[in-house]
Amino acid sequence: MISAHELDAVMLRRLAGRIRLRATEMVAIQGFGYLGQALSSAEIFAVLFGGAMRYGHDRFVLSPGHYVIALYAAAAEIGLIDPQALATYGKDGSDLEAIGSERTPLGDLVCGSLGQGLSGAVGFALAAELAGEDRDVFAFLSDGEMEEGQVWEAAMLAAHRRLGRLAVVIDANNSQVDGPIDSVTTLEPLADKWRAFGWRVAELDGHDIEALRRALAARHDGPEPFVIVARTQISGGLRAIPPTVDGHFIKLDAALRAAITLELEAAIA
Amino acid sequence: MREPPYATVLKPYGAALVELARRRPEVICLGADLTRQTETDLFRDKLPDRFINIGMAEANMISVAGGLARAGRVVFVNTFGVFSTRRCFDQIAMSVAYPNLNVKIVGFMPGLSSPGGPSHQAIEDVALMRALPNFTVIEPADAIETRQAVAAIAAHPGPVYLRLKRGEIPVIFDDSHRLDLRKAQVLVGDEGCQLCIVASGMMLPAALAAARTLIENDVSVAVLNAPVIKPFDGATVLSMARGSRLVITAENHTIVGGLGSAVAEVLAEAGIPVPLRRIGIADTFAEAGSREFLFAKYGLGTRDIVNAAWDGLKINRPPPLARVVELSPGAYAPV
Repeated sequence: MISAHELDAVMLRRLAGRIRLRATEMVAIQGFGYLGQALSSAEIFAVLFGGAMRYGHDRFVLSPGHYVIALYAAAAEIGLIDPQALATYGKDGSDLEAIGSERTPLGDLVCGSLGQGLSGAVGFALAAELAGEDRDVFAFLSDGEMEEGQVWEAAMLAAHRRLGRLAVVIDANNSQVDGPIDSVTTLEPLADKWRAFGWRVAELDGHDIEALRRALAARHDGPEPFVIVARTQISGGLRAIPPTVDGHFIKLDAALRAAITLELEAAIA
Repeated sequence: MREPPYATVLKPYGAALVELARRRPEVICLGADLTRQTETDLFRDKLPDRFINIGMAEANMISVAGGLARAGRVVFVNTFGVFSTRRCFDQIAMSVAYPNLNVKIVGFMPGLSSPGGPSHQAIEDVALMRALPNFTVIEPADAIETRQAVAAIAAHPGPVYLRLKRGEIPVIFDDSHRLDLRKAQVLVGDEGCQLCIVASGMMLPAALAAARTLIENDVSVAVLNAPVIKPFDGATVLSMARGSRLVITAENHTIVGGLGSAVAEVLAEAGIPVPLRRIGIADTFAEAGSREFLFAKYGLGTRDIVNAAWDGLKINRPPPLARVVELSPGAYAPV
């Protein structure tokens, strides 16, 4: 177990690897699930929960509830929940539902219906501003949910209100249910869209721990809300995952699980 | 109770909201570009720090309200009923109802009270909001109830849909009238009347006028005012319906899923074999037009209630004509 204070880059890389391993174990319970989401976002969760965010004081919003597996994994690694609870992931009666819900015992807002989280984060940021509180709001979004118009309604309002305490990280893994996002519609140029909406934007490799850390550390450099477009791979760069796999909902047989586990354990050894 | 034509007042909701917010600093007012139309120009001018214009983005507004409520605020969300319910239903369900948050959604221009046609006529808003777990649904009949509703819903923890007439608001009740979030009130008659009329909102004046005509023609009538459609006071309805020969519901809303449905559910579950006639919009979209024209054309008039009573009670005479109340400028009378 790793303590929650600021970790160095080596430890954060290991934390990301542990998040992927935990997620693999959780998905193995049913043999299928939202593993790709954890593989693509592991570094983002590692950096946020490894010190960038004052968890319990700052607000954390998880907009795409399908990513809650990564939240569970990160929380177990830093001691926010009992790691043994992860074995109940997705099981009947468990609080650790496969898609985030009001039962999710973590975060300030965990959505299930896509596209609503940024609006909730704007609500938190407005509340903090009205109260004059020293409280940042971190919102995790996915690129797929940018297809929902509500995200842009919220983006417009956040910039208009100059909600400088609001920091968004987008896991831009180009994955949605029907396949690659760019085969369904055109989100790009994503960073330019946010810039045009009045946000400060960082675009970076979402698997690069140092780049994520530097960008988050600079989030208050201007009065505007801040967004990171984190370019990631739904496979998390794992060679064990064939390119033909449906990244949104991975089927994990024993052989694939063994190959993934082997590769992840070697990486964090 | 007063007599028609009823005097009207302006902005009872807007004034009551300001009064509430002065006492309670956690009250926030959100709007979506319809500030004067939702009476919240008063709030904007008196308490600008706590007034946030979200712009024409109702989905965003509802979820922002959810975030503010999670941070401890009591959030009043204001726009027309069509936009505050129909347009953003999933946001209401997931950002407000499911987490059971302290968000009060206020929807103006109920039913056929808007000349703007189907895009602006909230004919199914009560049905939508009533279907959501955790929601309380309220439709005041006049300015007295509206003022009291603001304080009452602020004191009630949890999501509320408050359905309000826009513009000139009639004063039907005396100042001593008390809105109770748990009770329907018997305004006319008592247990054992031949006919029981259950009405809400803008249909209450028509129900009262119909009752007067019917009573003058030797039909005993009870009138129930049911401003709280959810949770519904089935006990009072049952106590009045049990001995009656006919129940009529009157609502400025589709007959599917609103007050009429609530009464039907209560009667059926209690096994009371009394016929029920639902006066309301008969499962149809309407059209643009004045309130007088639309209420008459779509069956929301006093005459429609009288005729339904006559038919339902199987009285073998021609139905009486309801007395016409002359409508003077600035006053309100049923169609």
